Amino acid sequence: MSAVLQQLVSQPYKHGFVTDIESETAPRGLSEDVIRMISAKKGEPDWLLQFRLEAYRHWLTMTEPTWQNVSHPPIDYQDIIYYSAPKPKKKLASMDEVDPELLKTFEKLGVPMHERASLAGVAVDVIFDSVSVATTYKAKLAEVGIIFCSISEAVHDHPELVRKYMGSVVPTSDNFYAALNSAVFTDGSFVFIPKGVKCPMDLSTYFRINTQDSGQFERTLIVAEEGASVSYLEGCTAPKFDTNQLHAAVVELVALDDADIKYSTVQNWYAGDENGVGGIYNFVTKRGLCQGRNSKISWTQVETGSAITWKYPSCVLLGDGSSGEFYSVALTNHMQQADTGTKMIHVGKNTRSKIVSKGISAGRSSNSYRGLVKIGASADGARNYSQCDSMLIGDRCSANTFPYLTVQNPASIVEHEATTSKIGEEQLFYFAQRGVDAEQAISMIINGFCRDVFIHLPMEFAVEATKLLGLKLEGSVG
Amino acid sequence: MSAPGIPFPSLATVALPEVPAAGSGDWPARIVESARAAAGRLPVPTPRDEDWRFTDVAQLAKQSYLVEAVPSDLPSAEVLRPLLLDEADGARLVFIDGRFAPALSDTGALAAGVRLVALSDVLSWGLGGSTADGDAGTAAEVRAHLARHVGFEADFFSALNTARLGDGAVLVADRDVQVAGAVHLLFLSTGRPAPLAIQPRVLVVAGAGSELTVVEEYAALGESMVFTNAVAECVVGPNASLHHVRLQRENRASFHVGRCAVSIARDGRYRSVSVNIGARLSRLDLNVTLNGQGAQAHLDGLALLDARQHSDSHTLLDHATPDGSSRQLHKCVCDGGSHAVFNGRILVRPDAQRTDSAQQSRGLLLSPKAQVNAKPQLEIFADDVKAAHGATVGQLDGDELFYLASRGLPAAQARKLLTYAFAAEVIERIPVRSLVARLAAQVMARSGL
Repeated sequence: MSAVLQQLVSQPYKHGFVTDIESETAPRGLSEDVIRMISAKKGEPDWLLQFRLEAYRHWLTMTEPTWQNVSHPPIDYQDIIYYSAPKPKKKLASMDEVDPELLKTFEKLGVPMHERASLAGVAVDVIFDSVSVATTYKAKLAEVGIIFCSISEAVHDHPELVRKYMGSVVPTSDNFYAALNSAVFTDGSFVFIPKGVKCPMDLSTYFRINTQDSGQFERTLIVAEEGASVSYLEGCTAPKFDTNQLHAAVVELVALDDADIKYSTVQNWYAGDENGVGGIYNFVTKRGLCQGRNSKISWTQVETGSAITWKYPSCVLLGDGSSGEFYSVALTNHMQQADTGTKMIHVGKNTRSKIVSKGISAGRSSNSYRGLVKIGASADGARNYSQCDSMLIGDRCSANTFPYLTVQNPASIVEHEATTSKIGEEQLFYFAQRGVDAEQAISMIINGFCRDVFIHLPMEFAVEATKLLGLKLEGSVG
Repeated sequence: MSAPGIPFPSLATVALPEVPAAGSGDWPARIVESARAAAGRLPVPTPRDEDWRFTDVAQLAKQSYLVEAVPSDLPSAEVLRPLLLDEADGARLVFIDGRFAPALSDTGALAAGVRLVALSDVLSWGLGGSTADGDAGTAAEVRAHLARHVGFEADFFSALNTARLGDGAVLVADRDVQVAGAVHLLFLSTGRPAPLAIQPRVLVVAGAGSELTVVEEYAALGESMVFTNAVAECVVGPNASLHHVRLQRENRASFHVGRCAVSIARDGRYRSVSVNIGARLSRLDLNVTLNGQGAQAHLDGLALLDARQHSDSHTLLDHATPDGSSRQLHKCVCDGGSHAVFNGRILVRPDAQRTDSAQQSRGLLLSPKAQVNAKPQLEIFADDVKAAHGATVGQLDGDELFYLASRGLPAAQARKLLTYAFAAEVIERIPVRSLVARLAAQVMARSGL
């Protein structure tokens, strides 16, 4: 590796800064009292408190899973602050009244909220340290009957909807981290698209982790009724800290008959330094339920950050003729670890699923694809196609593929393909003789490699993702 | 009346004075001792273990077993004849219920430089001291390789077999010896008395530059339940070539657990075809290590199942050195309520640059009650690597069925023909013609052709 490249590889995290906002913070640790406090602070109805307590009690009986291909020091769940919120200020009438420091933070991230909102036509529901403080374009969405707000608001304003759908896709007892989230989740987004409505714009939420040691436990719930459709974007960056932060979110999607949900993520949280110190633990449960006939759920993710990324955005294809898609680019560098993939559970007849996963490992990182395709006995005519490609950059990283195929129906077809390749000397030489330097060449090769996924991202995200990969990988080949 | 059986978990640890395993010298005794300790220490695997997730050995483990067969009448020549291979005439060892049967074996036509002996004989030579009665070269190879490759310290079934080390086959080919025909190792079970636990052992050493074909076959003569726990170790020397055919045709009441550990030296070539047709529950772990630069491995597998059969095949291709190549084709055909499991792991270690590896796994489901679990697994730690795998599970191809229908074939006939063709692709890779013909006939009969 040349010196220039070396320097580029070790570029510091560009989004590492801490915003100083007074937090109202729960004591460290987790107990029924802390859960009651969170619930009381948020003025929640009793059924939600019971939901949390039930999850907590179940969580106490569970043990941390160990099958994943990642390693980290044990997490002390009693050393985490489960609630911190910016102190409530007076009600905001316009963007001008938003905490200027908060706005500055977004400026630094390159997310000029108002500008972006008006120019790009994106409604941004800003989540800052677990509590929503500003929501734009709400009125416009309300006109067509779309509800787009924080979960806390939804609990107050639309309790019947939240109660009906929350926990219906990811039950409180689903897994260790989902149970933990169900017990302590502080906020998140809620989207409801009523029957027959096509959401007029892409919905977007920016998450931001702040306040040292505060694990974030968001909860996202998206419901699309019959014939509705929505595209939802989630993008993440976090300030630089040395202490590992646990992030255990739960995302639930519900699609009824003929509904269509597209969920896109660009994740660039702090990954720790090059020796693996610090960085976010990203242990997320994401699952979509294609409940209705001919419904469709599509996951697209670009995972470039976090010390550990461990998540499997999944689709349960329950409705006849429903379809699920998963497009993923996971990039790991330095000491990062990623164990990510998807689950496609075919239950209904003539259900279809498609998986395209691209893993890129560099440095001393470990990148695993783990996926399950299950065709149940009732899923006549089910069809799956999976493609998992890995690229290795350097000889100290690893790329692993663990696909599980379970087929119980003879009238179905499942196909899985995987390849591994590298950026070869020959390719770089070819570019060089055409006058393209190594940096640009790598960027072009990587973008070509990831193209199958990027074309499924909304435009702004595709641009961001392309830039992000280039930035992350600069100098990794030499 | 037979003596009461030994509960499964104590099979390895119960003291059995009549077992001749230990021999005289300290060497085999030490290995047996540590295997016994390992078997006592290791828990019996359950579906909670990732490697046994889809295969539950509870049925097997809850039984009690007898470990010493009552010497029974040897099968007659008429019974034996259809089981023999023309290619292996004068080059076969036959074992009845795990014990060497000299009267049925024939090593009269072995090529010069090939040694084929029973493990019990080798152990009786007293490997620790003099080898006055035996053959020093063979003894040295056994000493160098037996239980060195299978890794019994971490695997319950290998530990159990090694703890009960008693009999089996030893095949050694000297440097540059090329054997035209095949060597047949035939393990027959009579299952008298039942249930019997058998621990066969195979060691094959292909010396540098040698070429050898060996057929390892497990078959039942009766219908009673047998638990066969077989361990084979194959050592492929530099530039040697070993063809290994493993055939499992136990009866439908039986359990079969097989382990095969292969080590390939520089430029060595190992080709194997494993066919699993029998047993109620079978499990095969085939672990191949490419230990020398430029080693090649070619693994083919076929599981042909129906009724309530369960067959689990785990393979590991461990690329530990540079410039290795591996090819793999695994197929399973599931009818009735059968269940096939395939876990194909390809590991490319950090130094194994320029590895070229490709794996194909194909499952054919013929019945709504059948199930296939496939897990093709790649773990890659080197960057200059070509590795690919593909897995499909599905039904017979609609276009192919239509083509045959358009040629006037009844649908049922067309399905049988295509099913046969699916399986035949693997069977035809067996380098022993008489065995190909025999298996093809068997598959046809089973498909109703």
